[in-house]
Amino acid sequence: MAPVSTARLGRLAPPLALVVIWLVMTLINPRFLSAVNLTNLMLQIVAVGAVAVAVVLVLLIGEIDLSVGAVSGLGAGVTAVLSVKQDWPAVLAIIAGLLTGALVGLLHATIVTRVGVASFVVTLAGLLTWQGALQLVLGETGTVNLDDPQLVAIAGTFLSPALGWLIAAVITAAAVAAVVVHLRADRPRRVWPWVLAGTVAPVAVLVFNADRGVPLAVVVFLLLLAGGDVVMRRTTLGRHAVATGSNASGARRAGIAVDRIRMTVFALASVLAVTGGILAASRLLAVNQSSGSTDLMLTAVAAAAIGGASLFGGRGTVWSALLGALVVGSLANGLDLLGASSAIRLIATGVVLALAVGLDTVAHRAERQPFTEHSRPGR
Amino acid sequence: MSTTRTAPTDETAARADLIDERLAQDTGLRGAADAFRRRVRDGDLGLLPVVVGLFVIGLVFYLQDVTYLSSSNLVNITLNAVPYGIIAVGVVLVLLLGEIDLSVGSISGLAGSITAVLVVQQGQPLVLGLLAGAGTGAVIGIAYGLIFTKIGVPSFVITLAGLLGFVGLQYVVLGDTGTINLPRTSPLAQFAREDFLSPAVSYVAVVVVVVAYALVSIIGIRRRTAAGLPAQSLTLVLGKSAIMLAGLGFLTYYLNIDRGWGFAVVFFVALVVVLDLVLRKTTWGRHLYAVGGNVEAARRSGINVNWIYISAFSLTGLLAATGGLMFLARLTSVSQASGSNDVNLTAIAAAVIGGVSLFGGRGSAYSALLGVLVLTAINSGLNRIGVDSSVRYIVTGAVLLLAVSIDAIARRARASSGRG
Repeated sequence: MAPVSTARLGRLAPPLALVVIWLVMTLINPRFLSAVNLTNLMLQIVAVGAVAVAVVLVLLIGEIDLSVGAVSGLGAGVTAVLSVKQDWPAVLAIIAGLLTGALVGLLHATIVTRVGVASFVVTLAGLLTWQGALQLVLGETGTVNLDDPQLVAIAGTFLSPALGWLIAAVITAAAVAAVVVHLRADRPRRVWPWVLAGTVAPVAVLVFNADRGVPLAVVVFLLLLAGGDVVMRRTTLGRHAVATGSNASGARRAGIAVDRIRMTVFALASVLAVTGGILAASRLLAVNQSSGSTDLMLTAVAAAAIGGASLFGGRGTVWSALLGALVVGSLANGLDLLGASSAIRLIATGVVLALAVGLDTVAHRAERQPFTEHSRPGR
Repeated sequence: MSTTRTAPTDETAARADLIDERLAQDTGLRGAADAFRRRVRDGDLGLLPVVVGLFVIGLVFYLQDVTYLSSSNLVNITLNAVPYGIIAVGVVLVLLLGEIDLSVGSISGLAGSITAVLVVQQGQPLVLGLLAGAGTGAVIGIAYGLIFTKIGVPSFVITLAGLLGFVGLQYVVLGDTGTINLPRTSPLAQFAREDFLSPAVSYVAVVVVVVAYALVSIIGIRRRTAAGLPAQSLTLVLGKSAIMLAGLGFLTYYLNIDRGWGFAVVFFVALVVVLDLVLRKTTWGRHLYAVGGNVEAARRSGINVNWIYISAFSLTGLLAATGGLMFLARLTSVSQASGSNDVNLTAIAAAVIGGVSLFGGRGSAYSALLGVLVLTAINSGLNRIGVDSSVRYIVTGAVLLLAVSIDAIARRARASSGRG
């Protein structure tokens, strides 16, 4: 067997954690692996997952956004109020919510780049401000119940079995094609993600179809992930963003408009956060004062970190969000199934976060100069 | 110490000494005024914006409601500020290092719960309960410090994990009841709610503090003069002392119209003063600033960087736990909501508003005192006007942003004047 490098070990830690969690949960309660529960698990993680994608993007440029939870709540609140109280059509209401997110992200980034305040503080102030703004938007009742059929449909729709299989077929076909291309070009290490995607897709559809079918929300989430992945790895914007995260002054000297990258990524992240908020609202059928609470932010940041996005910036992929959200979600779902209290869930999440990031840090220690690159909040 | 130094004999030596602004002390009243102007121009605003902010807050709310500045409301503000303030002092310590502790709220809640369970449910002696609660905080801090220095996980993540984990642990400690009430007759509750300095004692205390300040300053002048360094003038020291005496005396008189200085408030202020002295005058404190300013430089000049980190984190944990005990004492109960995210955000915001740089190496213990006064004053005012919590959140966020923006702009001025 080939020796496994420590860096490789660090990358393997999160998936390993996921496998262990699934094994343990199944051994304790076999219902964990039932189609119904797995479908519920996926529905539970899409909102956190979308917000975690936002966190990953911001981490990639070496910044932090503590306001993702509050912004997701605010955007969802705007959408809900416009739809319910102002009778706007669902599409327009959603666009207005997403625009709110974009504006908030631009505002944060403007203060970070123009005034020079650390993103940690700007978004901490944002967290407070937008939490208050959400309460103002919701008005005195504090809760807005969604009644628009289209808004409700986002999380309540399940694709027909045939459509599900079609999606699986497309993914598998794409995976096979990609494997062939990579093998011909002699890039065997690029093959594994595609092999994984090609095998997981049919299995997942099989499981979903055994219950209610592939949930639309899950498809939306996967499209977000795939889109985000393509943008970050294949476009100039994405590559410049990663360069900025690895070494901002190096990136600037190489001619990258670092400030513009920051503006774009912050705006994009806030839009993603709002997307998560709308997904959550559609699932809960309501937006209330606890929508987008600090808990959501903490879970999303934890998910991003567990998934392997480096808090030092410049390392991590959009898929970290999926992996991290799966780990956190499986823990919560499994513990709920066991009837454990929320106390145990919090402790377990904390322990997994510490373990995952601890392992990751040890694995990547060789890459960093000791003591010169200690993370400073907001950098 | 001064005996080993030879006094400079000619004028040039004294002037050379003035080149380094940390050694320079302008002589005379005009010199002091000049130095102040120069500092502000170069972007070293210090505590000035916060003090101005406090005046503005007082004025705005006074115009809305004249009872805002009444003696009883001011006493309430001081009492409410104590628990947040003690936690904020701890946050200042980690921020000085350029690190962060996101879990101070959870630690405070956990410590309060442990003490409440031991004292109320299990009938242990109060002292034991307090020691257990505070000790928990210190041990958590040591653990953070060890993980941070030995493994190298960013403090942001360790304390985020801690935040989650310790909230959970708090639920476990509290058990099924979820809420534990501390009897109001308990000495702990008395300390934070009912015990106040008697008028006579408070005036004596004011005089003692001012005399001590004057004496220490005069000794400082003697030592600097003996070492041939320029010192501040005696008139200035006496003037400052007189202003201090008048200010503190009036404040004491005004608070005494109602209940006066609470024991808890005195405890908090004493804590801030002691910590300020420790930070500025001891080796440990100066090393802390050095590590916060530049870790690598500090390490190469032989400072035991790991020890500084571990001790600072543990002190932060200890202070957060102490703040939690103060919450328990002030609210006479602890529940699952104790030490919630609100506490976290308020304590961190207070430290930052008070003027601690998030980039490490700058700020003082007094930042926590002033920052928490700003936030508590705003809170009290908004509650009196009767606005709902949404406006409170927005105002707090805006004030936080304003404070850091001023700091960031001032930092640029500092950088351009070569004092980055």
